[in-house]
Amino acid sequence: MTTSQPTISTNQTPAGNAMIELTNVGKAYRTDTIETLALQKMNLTVPSGEFLSIMGPSGCGKSTLLNIMGLIDEPSEGTVSLAGQRIEGYNGNAIARFRNEQLGFIFQSFHLINDLSVVDNVELPLLYRRMSGSERKRLSLEALARVGLSNRATHFPNQLSGGQKQRVAIARAIVGKPNIILADEPTGNLDSHMGDEIMDILLKLNEELGTTIVMVTHDERMAKKTHRLVRLSDGERVS
Amino acid sequence: MFSHLLKLMWNKRRANSLLFLEILLAFIVLFGVLGFCFFNLDRYNSPLGFEYENTWQVELDIPDDLDSTGNHQLQESILREIGSLPDVEDVAFLGPVTPFGGSTWRSGGEHNGQNISAMIMFPDEHYAETAKLNIREGRWFVAEDRIAKTATMVVNKAFLERYGSPGGSLIDTIMVYNGIDRKIIGITSDFKYHSNFARNEPLVFLFDRYLDEAEDPLEYLTVRVTPSAPASLEEDIYKRVALLTKSPDVTINRLANERVQANQPITIPMTIMVIISGFLLINIALGLFGVLFTQINRRRSEIGLRKAMGATGGEVTRQFILETLIVTLGGLLIGTFFAIQVPLLDLLPIDDKFFYWGILGSIVIILTIVMICALIPSRLASRLHPADVLHEG
Repeated sequence: MTTSQPTISTNQTPAGNAMIELTNVGKAYRTDTIETLALQKMNLTVPSGEFLSIMGPSGCGKSTLLNIMGLIDEPSEGTVSLAGQRIEGYNGNAIARFRNEQLGFIFQSFHLINDLSVVDNVELPLLYRRMSGSERKRLSLEALARVGLSNRATHFPNQLSGGQKQRVAIARAIVGKPNIILADEPTGNLDSHMGDEIMDILLKLNEELGTTIVMVTHDERMAKKTHRLVRLSDGERVS
Repeated sequence: MFSHLLKLMWNKRRANSLLFLEILLAFIVLFGVLGFCFFNLDRYNSPLGFEYENTWQVELDIPDDLDSTGNHQLQESILREIGSLPDVEDVAFLGPVTPFGGSTWRSGGEHNGQNISAMIMFPDEHYAETAKLNIREGRWFVAEDRIAKTATMVVNKAFLERYGSPGGSLIDTIMVYNGIDRKIIGITSDFKYHSNFARNEPLVFLFDRYLDEAEDPLEYLTVRVTPSAPASLEEDIYKRVALLTKSPDVTINRLANERVQANQPITIPMTIMVIISGFLLINIALGLFGVLFTQINRRRSEIGLRKAMGATGGEVTRQFILETLIVTLGGLLIGTFFAIQVPLLDLLPIDDKFFYWGILGSIVIILTIVMICALIPSRLASRLHPADVLHEG
């Protein structure tokens, strides 16, 4: 566990318009007897506005890579820069604020809170910002409109289909207007029709808002719709 | 954030109903116990008004066949003999109503059209000195009062407050009490003799020097001894009294012990109630711990999600504490609504302040316990790592 102070340095801006830049990033999980390398010497640059997909077999390090990009996991080695800011500490409030303002997450299993209505789920990231309740609600309804779920605002997650749940999760990811969206198998739990719907929404967001999207997927068909595909195997980038 | 949590707790109201009920019941029980304790502690804090440490009470058996002269001579002899013993500081006679003795003698009278009701004690002229009474106004009895033209009496502060005019004095007031005119010559400070938890009631000291109002001789001696008085002094007193009264029926009790016994009808139930309440509070604390730990385990992915969305560890801790507080405050609010009916509707003949103190005390105790119990699981929740918990569910 790191003991470093959470800091975000802004004086080492990566070259060009890179939104995400990983340099020699490695991640090892250690127990008393075994060290497992989840990622090795990963170098990856994602320009602003790119829609990147990551593919690879199970256990190849896709989710670990996504977690490191999302600052919810810390690399064992290497450096991470997001939105022009080099990340040097991972446990403090500054990182939490950075995640809140710059990153949106979409998960395979949606991770909606069943005791909250759709609109209350969507406003979740805004709760950690200084913002009035009415402003939160306005932005949440706006995000729901963007994913075509305005009419479901007062419903609860257990009243929605899988595709609708994922659209709520997308609305939650974009409500804070982040520069980066990280999607971990967003179509993994959906049938192909619903998967296409979700993919269309993500593509539209990328086109219209210019949001940088990194998506982990097992579905070659979905990956082909994105700008670029990166393949991983045994923690290493193979293409 | 607060309105968000209110919504969340409202939507989880079924899951929280048992916790809510537990808090409500605990509040009601605690309110009753604290009200009872505050009420009795308030009484305990009002002074008895006499000395009980190093004070012995001797019950003796004056022969029935003595005429009044013989009785007077015997009582004087006893006072002289006991008073002359080393380590005896003061000695006085008292009638059948004695401190912590459990007996009450009550009579009534009339003054300016007002009915008077008060308890009575029958001391001699030495009692004020022996029991260290505080005379706040006027004087205590002297031997000559026995043959005064108008009978005399001394009253306590509670008598003055009940039957005197506000700010006025009752000294030299003549009133009919127990059938004859009596002049009030002195007023003591607080004086109550049943126990520390007894009410401060109006009390009258009547004086005949040798007899009570039933014309029976005074048969209790109050003996104040030095703090270093040896146990053998009891034997000396016993022997002298038995010799003078020609009766072996002599009982010596220490007032300090009598006081403890007299207090027991309140201290024992109060202790039992406090212990039961203590267990109840421990039960609540353990219940809260259990509920919070279970909730946190069930909501690991939610915690991970919130942290991924930008919640800091402190914000997660605050969320769980606030959630617990919302349920607790709900229980306390409903509990207060019911509890406050007791003073508002005058359901019990007790000063309202004790109920308000009970409400306040219960709220403070329950909130403190809830805060302590909520803090540990909430802090554990804040340490969950989103990368670990988001992939569990």
